[in-house]
Amino acid sequence: MLETLGMMGAGFLNALTPINLLMMAAGVSMGIIIGCMPGLSAAMGVALMLPLTFTMKAETGLIVLGAIYCGAIFGGSISAILIHTPGTPASAATAIEGYQMTLQGKAGKALFTACYASFWGGLLSCISLYFFAPLLGKLTLKFMSAEYFWLSIFGLTIIAGVAGKSLLKGLMSGALGLLISTIGMDPLYGYDRFTFGVDYLSDGINVTAALIGLFSMSQVFILAEKKITERARAAKVNDKMSLSREERKVIRPTIVRSWLIGNIVGILPGAGASIACFLGYNTAKQFSKSKGLFGKGSIEGVAGSEAANNAVTGGSLIPTLTLGIPGESVTAVLMGGLIIQGLTPGPELFGKYAPMTYTFFAGFVLVQFFMLGIGLLGCRGFAQISRLSDAILIPCVSVLCVIGSYAIHRNMVDVYIMLIFGVLGYLMRKLDLNTAAVVLALILGPIGEKNLLKALTISGGSIGILFQSVVSWVLIALCVVGILSPIFMAKMEKKAEADAVSGTDEDVEVLTEEDSV
Amino acid sequence: MNNDKMKWTDIGVVAFMYIVCGVFYYKAVHLNEEIQSYPKFTIILLFGLTTLYLLQILLAAKKNGVESGVDKVFKGFQPAQFFVSLAAVVAYVLLINFLGFYLATALFLIGLLLYLKVPYLHTAIAVAVILALVYFAFARFLGVKLPKGLIFKLLR
Repeated sequence: MLETLGMMGAGFLNALTPINLLMMAAGVSMGIIIGCMPGLSAAMGVALMLPLTFTMKAETGLIVLGAIYCGAIFGGSISAILIHTPGTPASAATAIEGYQMTLQGKAGKALFTACYASFWGGLLSCISLYFFAPLLGKLTLKFMSAEYFWLSIFGLTIIAGVAGKSLLKGLMSGALGLLISTIGMDPLYGYDRFTFGVDYLSDGINVTAALIGLFSMSQVFILAEKKITERARAAKVNDKMSLSREERKVIRPTIVRSWLIGNIVGILPGAGASIACFLGYNTAKQFSKSKGLFGKGSIEGVAGSEAANNAVTGGSLIPTLTLGIPGESVTAVLMGGLIIQGLTPGPELFGKYAPMTYTFFAGFVLVQFFMLGIGLLGCRGFAQISRLSDAILIPCVSVLCVIGSYAIHRNMVDVYIMLIFGVLGYLMRKLDLNTAAVVLALILGPIGEKNLLKALTISGGSIGILFQSVVSWVLIALCVVGILSPIFMAKMEKKAEADAVSGTDEDVEVLTEEDSV
Repeated sequence: MNNDKMKWTDIGVVAFMYIVCGVFYYKAVHLNEEIQSYPKFTIILLFGLTTLYLLQILLAAKKNGVESGVDKVFKGFQPAQFFVSLAAVVAYVLLINFLGFYLATALFLIGLLLYLKVPYLHTAIAVAVILALVYFAFARFLGVKLPKGLIFKLLR
């Protein structure tokens, strides 16, 4: 216990270096800008910025990515409140009450509530990150190759969870990703597979290039196919950006409830901030003493949604860092960042690399303060940026995709791979296939293959080794739950969305999950 | 799928997956025998899931009928804008090798921004900001040596 406390303290000291603080500020600002622009998403932002973290220290790189993640989730609320268009799906519920407040000339109050609730949601989510992540990390010490194989299979079943409308299409996307992950050298014998005569492919498909293509370049094509229209002018913020003591007291229980909801949703694989915001909003509505205000501009509604979606951030990092199972697209990209730094999720992060991990955790806590400060000070400016036309975004984001993928190995082949995955990602999104599933498979496929081959080598080829331990059976059971979970998740999301919109005459431009990735 | 009709675009998805399976299977059987099993497993998995999906959409066709799907998938599609943007990106990537990164980027940005009817002043600002960002963030901060282009090498 004392040792952990010591590492937590050391983590804060390491995180408080000038470079880390500068990167937190830059990451949060970048995240808010990306989040407040409808059409751009947190996953896209993190993927685009990934190459910039290559030369940084592992902890600094992770802090930047975490800052972009948190900033983007909060940033979505700015355009939701001021232009009635959520910047990311995670703020869809915020738009319901936030825009009503704007219409009543209370935009400042709505923005302050969103910022304040996001801050507390994010900050409280760090508590579970601090306490559950090391515990779960220690659990994986008992894992051998067979268990790691089942763990990766469990991760792959989450593909079903992140799948869109069709479970089968999600699984097909995952299987396609698995197949693509076999390109390159065989992990046991070292023979080349499916390189199609390109020597460079011996090392396999570069995950970062694929990530940039699937999340960022495909988004450029999505923007390019739509008619470019001028975005609505952001409403002016004329009132004071603050809440009275009484109002803060009113939203306090809502924030605590939404923190718990967001945290649990974040830990659950396959669920994400877009579900959490509606669940948080509905719970706020259920427990509110002023239910009549809902749909007419309730601060509890804004707080419920925003605290929940930001509480997802800390929660979702737990399975990613401990088990190597990213439950959603943003954490999949974050895990890509971790792997690029040469780190493997699991017990090592809390043993050998504990100083780095605790620095990242401390940075994640500090990021919440930056989010509060930058969010409050820069709301008006960010609102203007959210009006940036798609006509400017299309060429500019394209250049960033190209330079980002080139910077990985200073090689044009990665740019070609990025472009191919960009086109593939575009077509997949148009045809309701799931790009996040491909990414998860690209990351988890090689881990599963390596451990399967290792286990079979140990057992002399007998597959019985895969079913010997209790942990294996627990993981097999979790795989079944993983496959069945989307059915419950879809029902839960539909119900939460219907409950949120019922009783209001809102016409919020709700972004779908496909829009978000 | 309850009330959904079968879409021809779904047949496109199935066809694409079968083609991928076919190409990879053809390559897999030519691999060294020791390393065939795992790739074959993934091919069979994709093939099986695609076949299940095909059965699902055929059942939907029998129950609810068939529709094109193209009109829904490409609702509001702007062909000229999309294909010009796509071609510009491809041309840009190819031109980097010849013109070098900065010149190709400037040409790409100016060309596409003007095509997308961005005012001159905004175009100039966007080009300056992006080039400065690339220079400071990637060339200076990360130390990335950007392609200089064949044309400049030949001119020297």
